Amino acid sequence: MDFNPCMKHKIVRKTVRDFSETELGPIAHDVDREARFPWEVIDKMRGLNYFGLQIPRKYGGAEIDSISYAITIEELSRVCAAIGLCITVHNSVGAAPIVTFGSDKQKERFLPPLACGERIGAFCLTEANAGSDASGVETNAVKVEDGYLINGTKIFVTNGGVCGYALIFATIEDPSGRPSTKVFIVEKGMPGFSVGEIEDLCGMRANPVSSLFLEDCKVPFDNCLGQSVSGVKVALTALDAGRIGIAAQALGIAQGAFEAAVRYSKERQQFRKPISSFQTIQNYLADMATEIDASRLLLYRACALKDDNKPFGTEAAMAKLYCSRVATQTTNLAMQIHGGYGYSKEYDVERYFRDAKVTEIYEGTSEVQRLVISRSVLSQYT
Amino acid sequence: MVSELPWDPKTGTLKRALVDGMINPACRHALEAALILKNEHPTEITVITMGPPIAEEVLREALAMGADRGILISDSKIAGADTLATSKILADAIKTACPDFDLVLCGCHTSDSETAQVGPQITEELNVPGIAYVDQLELNNRSLRIQRLSDGFTETLDMPLPGLITVTTQQNAPRYISLSGLEDAFSEADITCLDLNDIGLNSGLTGSDRSPTRILRVYSPVTEKDNTVMRGSAGKIVQQLFDQFDDKIGGAIGKDIKEHQS
Amino acid sequence: MTMNEQLTEIWVFGDYRNYFQNRVTLQLLSRGVELAQKTGATVCAVVFGHEVDEWVGEYIAHGADRVLVIDHPELKQYKMETYVNLMVQLIEDLNPDIILIGATNFGREFAPRIAKRMQTGLSADCVGLDINEDGIMVQTAPSFGGNVLAEIITPECRPQMATIRPGTFQEIPHNYERTGEVVKLELPDNLPEERVKLVQSERSTQRFQRIEEAKVVVCGGRGMGSKKKFRKLAELAALMNAEIGATRPVIYANWIESEALIGQAGKNIKPKVLFSFGISGAIQHTAAIKNAEFIIAVNKNPKAPMMAMADIAIVADANQVCTAMIKELKRRIR
Repeated sequence: MDFNPCMKHKIVRKTVRDFSETELGPIAHDVDREARFPWEVIDKMRGLNYFGLQIPRKYGGAEIDSISYAITIEELSRVCAAIGLCITVHNSVGAAPIVTFGSDKQKERFLPPLACGERIGAFCLTEANAGSDASGVETNAVKVEDGYLINGTKIFVTNGGVCGYALIFATIEDPSGRPSTKVFIVEKGMPGFSVGEIEDLCGMRANPVSSLFLEDCKVPFDNCLGQSVSGVKVALTALDAGRIGIAAQALGIAQGAFEAAVRYSKERQQFRKPISSFQTIQNYLADMATEIDASRLLLYRACALKDDNKPFGTEAAMAKLYCSRVATQTTNLAMQIHGGYGYSKEYDVERYFRDAKVTEIYEGTSEVQRLVISRSVLSQYT
Repeated sequence: MVSELPWDPKTGTLKRALVDGMINPACRHALEAALILKNEHPTEITVITMGPPIAEEVLREALAMGADRGILISDSKIAGADTLATSKILADAIKTACPDFDLVLCGCHTSDSETAQVGPQITEELNVPGIAYVDQLELNNRSLRIQRLSDGFTETLDMPLPGLITVTTQQNAPRYISLSGLEDAFSEADITCLDLNDIGLNSGLTGSDRSPTRILRVYSPVTEKDNTVMRGSAGKIVQQLFDQFDDKIGGAIGKDIKEHQS
Repeated sequence: MTMNEQLTEIWVFGDYRNYFQNRVTLQLLSRGVELAQKTGATVCAVVFGHEVDEWVGEYIAHGADRVLVIDHPELKQYKMETYVNLMVQLIEDLNPDIILIGATNFGREFAPRIAKRMQTGLSADCVGLDINEDGIMVQTAPSFGGNVLAEIITPECRPQMATIRPGTFQEIPHNYERTGEVVKLELPDNLPEERVKLVQSERSTQRFQRIEEAKVVVCGGRGMGSKKKFRKLAELAALMNAEIGATRPVIYANWIESEALIGQAGKNIKPKVLFSFGISGAIQHTAAIKNAEFIIAVNKNPKAPMMAMADIAIVADANQVCTAMIKELKRRIR
């Protein structure tokens, strides 16, 4: 067991940190205020393989390992969580299901545009009456002569406003008349496919989260992902990997808020001393540092299991549950340390505070993570 | 970052082994200049560094940016080398590893010591033409046309190859490393490690033996003034500052900044 | 006192290219005279060029005992390889004990090449020179990237060489009554041809070195936040007829051209009033501003070394104070 980051992971961190601080640092505050998706930075990220992190080389991806992946998302989110979100959703639940379940033909067709970021991916499970329950989607698909006709509405779609490919979960009746869930790759510009208004959310405001509408949207047979695979399996597999990404994102937010708090506590003077000299503040900082470190270890273990092709679902759920909680706690304490200034929109810590909360909600709520974990725990003891 | 480099107050030398690998900023610009040249004139780029084994990290990063191979000169005998000794070792490494080089590009100075001496001294050791503080370069046949700002003059110079230049941080903004480049730097990279024997230097001599300079002592000068500290809102502070020091500041800037009663 | 029996010489390279803006050669002559008093050496200026009588006279008026001159049309422009060859030949013939060269761009390329040929030591961009009890020159240079100065000697090899940052020493006021020995030497005819060809040389349109003489300087560091915010300093400087300086990280970030660098590898300044915005105060920078008469520093961190050397330490966001100053000055100046 080696707890030292290897040279490669150190350079990954340095590389992504350099990019994030230079390109995202100066705009992170403004894009949040303006709820603006920064295409100018996205353009630069396209050429640097941020959109093909784990897509195989032959389709134009970088094919990096999962710890490198987590470090990448962590470092992006440390500076600008909304872009960390765009990248992890695109990669882990937008592109990865096609890598895992797509036919060779589908991979050749869909992966290269995803890998170079020409098409941004979205994952569309959540509906007004469905979210955590993948088998309960109300969007439906009907087989017609030359494809499928899809109807339904997806909500809270990350990258929704900018997606080029959307993985749409829909219920379809199999030949025996039983309903089953399937995944359809719906492409921007297909008749009947449209984007709703961008949601006005508490955090992650630079990400164009939106509804997607499917009204008699005709999709060719070739766009049904993994003909024989059930949509529920696609969802569960994608979400296991997706949780690694969201855990990494939460970790990055916590790290960013923590660093801001440490800096501020050394600058801010009260009673003629920096507030970092007070034990209460020191205790806060000690707890934050410990929790962040524990989060990181949990997360990297899940990544290492994934890279070893071992089951990692439970560990990913633990990492996601823990990292997201640490993110909300850390940003809360970071704001507390900042006092009144922390509550002001002038300071970044307020943005971290708002961004953190949703990590406990999406990609499976904390309650769902506990469900996943407890199932595994209970099954180990008979 | 740089200011936190640990140094040993006894020997006055940098504890380079503890320093996290990072490509010196000017060297990064030099590598970028080489990569741009390579784009138009296909060639092979070798990156060379001298340091403890951890310096491999710097080479990996350079490979991730697009260099073709790396050479690490690592030898415990190198410790304490000054610029004269360093330039000798690097020049001999170049002669060993790249005897048919066309162009050597160096960063114009390091961010830790900023002597800016090693590049010009390698030029002498290799006995090739050399130009320091290069901003822009362009290759025409076997001649390099360069531009630089030198002591207030914009100079255009022509230099035949093979030669050596040291590159400033004014132009050739280094590219970002792509994640696939980074993966390549670890999966298929070619890094050779050489010691002093390998490059034909008598390893009986240490870096200090080869160095004519000695460091007597290293110290941190402390200057603490009995100063006035001002705090509060920016607007209030500025008012107070100009009220209190209107003569001093006004006199220096040659304008009346006294508060006028209206 | 030195135990040397033979008469030794301290050489100062005559870097006259920007005579009126850059007085470093005169400053080195001045320090050379002081060092010579401790070793009993003579101070000798070395001048290469064409029609250089004016500079020869200036150097004697500012303290040179002797001037070695090679005056030839071939030397009209500064030529690196030729100048190195000439200097090395002179050193081999005359064995000077010490050679001082101004840390101009030219000097900082010229000196290391000479040191390499002579296989001797050289310290870069010195901010102090002295002679110790053994008669050896102690060279003080900022070093190791951190907040440190190093004292360096070249105990055995000769000559002892250093490049010295402009502005480090005070020149001796000129005295045109002074006399000195002028040794005119021929250009050797066996010089190898210069391999680097100068195609064009134009005085840069950029402001040149006025900052060293400026009464008011506005200096900015990384704490300004961004390139856009850093540009506000220009507006403030314009209001105060001030020059703008910057620290190394700012130059690296390309917020301003490298000519603005104050500190190691850049310039030393001595303004009447220095405004320092968002600068923490690494030694490379602070060593270069120690002669400022009155320093107003703005930094969020009251413990920053820059704040300790300021007369007025303003604990606040540099960018906000800059904005407030612009507003307040516009109101007050009428």
